[in-house]
Amino acid sequence: MTPASVPDPPEAARGRAGRRLLAPRASREPGSPRLAVTVIMAILGLAFLLPLVWLILAAFNPHATSNLAAPAFSLANFHAAFQAGAGRAIANSLYLAGVSTIIATVVSTLAGYVLSRHYVPAKGPLLVGIIFLTGLPVTLLLIPIYQMFVKINWLNSPFYTSLVLAATGVPFAIWLLKNFIDQVPRDFEEAAAAEGSGQFQILLRVVIPLITPGILVSAILTFINSWGAFLVPLVLDSNPNDAPGAVGIYEFITANGQVQFGPLAAYGILFSVPVIIMYVISSRWLNGSFSFAGGVKG
Amino acid sequence: MATINVEGVTKSFNGKTAVRDVDLEVADGQFMIIVGPSGCGKTTTLRMLAGFEKPTRGNVRIGGKVMNDVPPKDRDIAMVFQNYALLPHLTVAKNLSFGMRIRREPRKTIEREVAAIAEMLGIGPLLDRKPAQLSGGERQRVALGRALLRKPQAFLLDEPLSNLDAALRAQMRFELKRIHEKFPVTTVYVTHDQVEAMTMADQIALMDQGRLQQVAPPERLYSEPSNAFVAGFIGSPRINLIPATVLRGEGGAMLSCLSCRIPVNGDLGSVLERMDGDAVTVGLRPEEIQPCPAGANGRPAVQGVVELIEPLGSETHVSVRVGTEILTCRFPPRSGLEAGATITVQFDPQQMKVFDAASGMRLG
Repeated sequence: MTPASVPDPPEAARGRAGRRLLAPRASREPGSPRLAVTVIMAILGLAFLLPLVWLILAAFNPHATSNLAAPAFSLANFHAAFQAGAGRAIANSLYLAGVSTIIATVVSTLAGYVLSRHYVPAKGPLLVGIIFLTGLPVTLLLIPIYQMFVKINWLNSPFYTSLVLAATGVPFAIWLLKNFIDQVPRDFEEAAAAEGSGQFQILLRVVIPLITPGILVSAILTFINSWGAFLVPLVLDSNPNDAPGAVGIYEFITANGQVQFGPLAAYGILFSVPVIIMYVISSRWLNGSFSFAGGVKG
Repeated sequence: MATINVEGVTKSFNGKTAVRDVDLEVADGQFMIIVGPSGCGKTTTLRMLAGFEKPTRGNVRIGGKVMNDVPPKDRDIAMVFQNYALLPHLTVAKNLSFGMRIRREPRKTIEREVAAIAEMLGIGPLLDRKPAQLSGGERQRVALGRALLRKPQAFLLDEPLSNLDAALRAQMRFELKRIHEKFPVTTVYVTHDQVEAMTMADQIALMDQGRLQQVAPPERLYSEPSNAFVAGFIGSPRINLIPATVLRGEGGAMLSCLSCRIPVNGDLGSVLERMDGDAVTVGLRPEEIQPCPAGANGRPAVQGVVELIEPLGSETHVSVRVGTEILTCRFPPRSGLEAGATITVQFDPQQMKVFDAASGMRLG
C-alpha cells in the first residue's frame, strides 16, 4: 500500500508570496544566521579539503614543498616512495588489517549471536562492559601487552600483532553485530530448526546471510582501524621489514632529518588507495540490501 | 506418523502460568485443532510440542517417546508458522528444499520432489522468485510445501491462515483439508477462529486461560458443550446465555427465566430437583428460538420486542428484547419483521443447555 501523497499547498502559498511564507525565517533577513552557517561550513569544508588538495598536487610535483603549488605532473615521487619501501609497507598493512579483520569478524559474529540468542549469566552487565571497552584507549593496554608478549616470546611477529589489533576491534564489532542479529526474526531460526538444522547450520545458512550488511560494516570498520594502526605495531614489532604503512610514513618523515614532501604525499595516496577501493566495492553491498522483505508478515 | 501425548503439562514464564495441567492425546493421523481466545495458551502448547519451549512440569510424547529434552531438529516434526517464516534470501525452490538440503538428499530427488509439491500446490511458476515477490497466499503455500517435503511424523501449524483475507482463508481451508486427506499425517493446528476449527478438525481442543475446557469432535462440542465458556465460544451467532433460577414444584423441577416457568424433565430434571433456589444459566442457540405463529405447540413461548434485524440473505439474525434480556435469534430469510415490532418466540426445552451459574459447568 503506497502512502497517501502529501497534498500540494494551497494555490496562494505557491506564488512568490507563498514561497516567502514557506521559506525558513532566517533567510528572509540580510546577515541572517543561515548566511553565517553557510560561511562557517564553507570554512570547515576548505579546512578539510585543502590538505587533500595539497596531497594530490604534491604527490605529482617533483619539487613539492609544504606550500600549495601550481599543478605539475610527474610520477617521480611515486617511484621514490616505492624505492623507500612503500610496497612492502602496504603489503604489511594488508596482512595486519586482513588477519585482524578476519579474526575479529569471526569472533564477534559468534559472540554477538550467543549474546543475542542464548542465555548468558549477567548478560546486561556484560554488554555494558563490552560497550565500555569500545572506548578504552589501546595505549592503556600496550605496556602490559608488551610485557606479556616478552614473556611468551610473541614479539616481532605480524600474526600476534594482528591478534592485538583484532582484540581492540572486537568490543565494538560485538556490540554492532549483536544489534544486527537482534533484528533477525526468531521465526526464521525456528523454521530452520524445525527443518532439521543444528545451531551451527542455522548460524551459517540463516543468520549470517541475513546480517551480511552488518558483517560488512563491522569488517570495514575493523579493517580501517587496523589499517591505520601505528602504536601497536610500532611497539610490538620492531622489525623494520614488518613495518606497516602508518609506521612506514613516520619513518619517512624523519628520514635524513628532512621531510621529503613529494614522496611523502605519494606514499600517503598509495596508502589510501586500498581503503578507498574497499569503500567503493562495499558501498554497493550496503545500499538498501538490509531487508527481510517477504520472509515474515509485516 | 505418530500419536502425540501431552501429559499433565504446565508451562510458566517468570511466575505467570501460561498452560496449566493440560492432558491431550492426538491419535495417529488425526487432525486436532487447538482453539481458544488470544492468550489462552494454545500457541505455547504448540511450541512445547515443537520443542521451542520446555514444559515446566509434565511430559510431551511424540510417537510414544518423551521429547521434553529433545531439540526441535530431532523431533521429526514440521511446522508452519503464522508469519510464514520463509527465508528472504532464498528463492521459493530453495525455501522448499531447505530441509532436504540440510539432510543432504540427492540433488535429483530434491528437484523431483520440489517440482511435484510445487505442482500440487500451484506454485510451480514461482520457483525462481523470492518471498518478497509473492502474495500472502502464495507465501503460505510455500510454507506448507516446505512442511510437506519434510515428510514428518507430525505437522504443527500455528494460525497459518490468520494473515489471509476471508476469501483466501476459505480456499486454503479447503486445500488444507484436501492435503490432510491425501497425506494423513498427525496434525496439530492452532487457531483462534472457531470456523476453521469447526470445518477442518477431527477433534477440537478448546482452551481458556491456560486450561483445557473440552476435547471433542466439532458436532459434539457444538451440541454438548461441557461448560458455559465452550457453549459461548463455539457457534456463530453466539449462544444466548440467560440467567435463571431453579424452582422445585409439585411436578418436578422448573426453571424460572424470561418471565416464564419452564418444566424440566429427564436427567436434567433429576439434577435440578436437588438445586431448589439455585442460580443457573440457560443456554439457547439462536436457531433453537423460532417465531411462534399461532399457539405455542406446547413449548414455552415468550413475547418480546424486535430491537435489531440483520438480514444475511440466506438467513436473518434478529435481536429480540424479552424483559431485560436480549435474545439473538436465527430466522429464515425474508422474515417480514420490523424493528420495534412485538413478536412471540418459542423454544424446545429439550434443547436447552443448563449451566451452574457459579462454576459454569453443564448440568444434567
